[in-house]
Amino acid sequence: MTTLARIDDLHISFGGVAAASGVSFTVNTAEFLAVIGPNGAGKTTALRMVAGILKPDSGRVFFDDRDVTALPTHARVRLGLGFTHQIVRPFYSFSTVENVMIAAGHDLTRSPWRALSHRSRAAAKEKAATILARIGLADQADKSPRALPLGQRKRLEVARAIALDPKLLLLDEPLAGLSSAEAATMADLIRTLPAQGITVVLVEHNLGEVLRVADRLVVLDAGKVLAEGVPAEVMKRADVRQAYTGVV
Amino acid sequence: MLFVELAVKGLVYGCMYAMMAVGLTLVYGLLRILHIAHAGVFALGAYVAVVVANATGSLALGFALALVVSAIVGVGIYRFAYQPLLGHPPFVPMIVSIGLFIVMQEGFRMVFEAYGISFDNNPYYTSTVAIAGINLNYVEIAMVIASIVLLVGFGLFASLTRAGIGWRATVTDPQMATSFGIDPVRVRYINFLFGSGLAGLAGALVGLLNNYVEPTMGGLVSYKALAIIVLGGLGSVRGTLIASLILGVVESYGAIYLADVFDRDAIGFLFLIIVLMVRPQGLLGRK
Amino acid sequence: MSAYIASIVSVIGINMILALGLNIITGFCGQVSLGHAAFYGIGAYTAAYLAKLGAPLPLTLLAGTIMAGAIGIVVGLTSLRVRADFLAVTTMGIGFVFLGFVRKQKWLGGELGISGIPASGLHPVAYAALIVAFALGVIALTLWIKRSWMGFTFDAVADDEDAAPTVGISVSIYKLTAFGIGTALAGLAGGLYVYFARIILPDTFDFVQSIAILTMVVIGGTGSVWGVVAATIGLTLLPEVSRAASDYRLLIFGAMLMLVMRFSPGGLAGLVKRRAAS
Repeated sequence: MTTLARIDDLHISFGGVAAASGVSFTVNTAEFLAVIGPNGAGKTTALRMVAGILKPDSGRVFFDDRDVTALPTHARVRLGLGFTHQIVRPFYSFSTVENVMIAAGHDLTRSPWRALSHRSRAAAKEKAATILARIGLADQADKSPRALPLGQRKRLEVARAIALDPKLLLLDEPLAGLSSAEAATMADLIRTLPAQGITVVLVEHNLGEVLRVADRLVVLDAGKVLAEGVPAEVMKRADVRQAYTGVV
Repeated sequence: MLFVELAVKGLVYGCMYAMMAVGLTLVYGLLRILHIAHAGVFALGAYVAVVVANATGSLALGFALALVVSAIVGVGIYRFAYQPLLGHPPFVPMIVSIGLFIVMQEGFRMVFEAYGISFDNNPYYTSTVAIAGINLNYVEIAMVIASIVLLVGFGLFASLTRAGIGWRATVTDPQMATSFGIDPVRVRYINFLFGSGLAGLAGALVGLLNNYVEPTMGGLVSYKALAIIVLGGLGSVRGTLIASLILGVVESYGAIYLADVFDRDAIGFLFLIIVLMVRPQGLLGRK
Repeated sequence: MSAYIASIVSVIGINMILALGLNIITGFCGQVSLGHAAFYGIGAYTAAYLAKLGAPLPLTLLAGTIMAGAIGIVVGLTSLRVRADFLAVTTMGIGFVFLGFVRKQKWLGGELGISGIPASGLHPVAYAALIVAFALGVIALTLWIKRSWMGFTFDAVADDEDAAPTVGISVSIYKLTAFGIGTALAGLAGGLYVYFARIILPDTFDFVQSIAILTMVVIGGTGSVWGVVAATIGLTLLPEVSRAASDYRLLIFGAMLMLVMRFSPGGLAGLVKRRAAS
């Protein structure tokens, strides 16, 4: 088991309210890690700190043995991090395939000079089409994201992140808002990623699917790590059950 | 002594800017549009005042009509330029507003002359009064009093009357307000009526103060008012008022101390740019 | 070709370089800029000052371009701090600060500007041809940018600058690049203007000029290259076509700006697209 990423004692507060009070956990290569916890536990906040969208007040984020705490999001993406938003944010003026293409061509968008000296979008288009096919959106390639229902937009968000060839994919509530059938399909899809070399960390509310597919759980409550381990054991713990239901 | 005099003059200008800027921030708070045509309303007020006063011999009538006509034209601008474009990104109505301002300015130039017109009978132009050793023109005093009266009046309106409370609710949360039965269109009318009337009155007062009304007079005041509402935190009336006074004073000092480097009009913007780089949300805006 | 036609062509060429430059900043990269005339002015003043010192034409043009681009990048830093409406007012402010500065500097001629600028050394027709050559080059450059991955990246930044970093785009670098290129082109236009007019006044580079340039971009269709080219030609020729129209020039500009945005926010390019679709 090699450590791909490590979150070390993260603290952050907003307007006097502490959203994270010392969150620490590790992510192992090729695993499927789920971060769960009741509402307001600070799961999304923690994920966004790993992605670089939020800056912690204190603590460190390590990725691939590198301290990335000071790096902005785009730099972390270049190191191999992918991220999907809780509320999907496709580029609405792009078509579905173009959304994936801009990510697929990440090597070319690295610097303006590199971008300027390359015109052909053929390779990126091909790569994007392959990913869309794998994810079941091949028929939607030329449609605007506005024309897609939520389930497909969420898949697009994942497709775009995969196109970055990430080592680590951070997914913020990918199942939220989906019907149970859609959620199951999405969970199955995400489950195939570690085998393809993409380590997955997801934040999720939908316990049913998560318990079915995750290798390991980290439970957050009130900005702190409450428990971690394999799903079967974690969910047996009284303190975990109490955090969720308020009942022992 | 110069120190104090500069501060007082700065505050007087600040009151004038406030009369312009409040109208702008009211529109922005409600519609998220930079209402650049507001400058045209300012000049319109001045023209109405001078034309009516010269025609009837009554300054009071001129000013009253300036207020009324500006208010109505302001609402008209909302109906023509903004209401149909509310679904578009704010960039679009702002450009229409710029175009409209240019049209108004050119319109004034064509109807009246480019060289400006004056009040035939302006007893206030040269008369000053000394208060605590500082010379103030009667019109400057009138400006300060008018701005205080009108702004306090609006503040009372907003807190005490049903229409006013409806207005405040719409600015804070438009959807919630509509679900309470408050008519957003009526609120916008109130907004433009008040803001534009204020601008027209400001224009009339400035025209009286300088005894000179010309087509481009709205421009510079309006641009500064834009800087002010950004400084004060877009949409915040209180922030705008404070920022107006601050800008007036900063300009007053800056014009003297930076006289060799920048001209007066640039100073306000320079101040704005520096503040925004340090605090991107403005002096009093919320992040 | 008469001298009159040569001068029209020259003005069209200069306006085109200005409009296409702004199109990169506002149209391609989505950064509102209401102070573009300031960079036109920076290029002009730099070139004029050096020309009066005896520097040759290629050098003055280059200096004007680089100076405008360099300061443009510094101004572009403001777009990293503020956005949209705030950026609009900030860039408007930049224009006023430039004007206010230049009006007070005796060594730049103050209110009277710089006069007695030496001739380009070329016959007016040849100079017009030079301007046209530059304009064509700029058209080619903007078309290249638009179709390259730089254009694709600009589109993403313009679409959603908060989502762009999640696909690895450094929004800051691209914004500064857009500003740098766009303002450098404005500086080039300024340098070319200097030898055309032989005298420069501060008022030539005021807010109204910034709006005039914006008008060409907006009416052409922000982001569209051919639309902007067409609009620039049309709007520059309009006052020439009718002597009467010349006095109403600003009024027509304002009216077109107002009416086009009111009824067809996508500009000419938008109209063409809609016709093609239906």
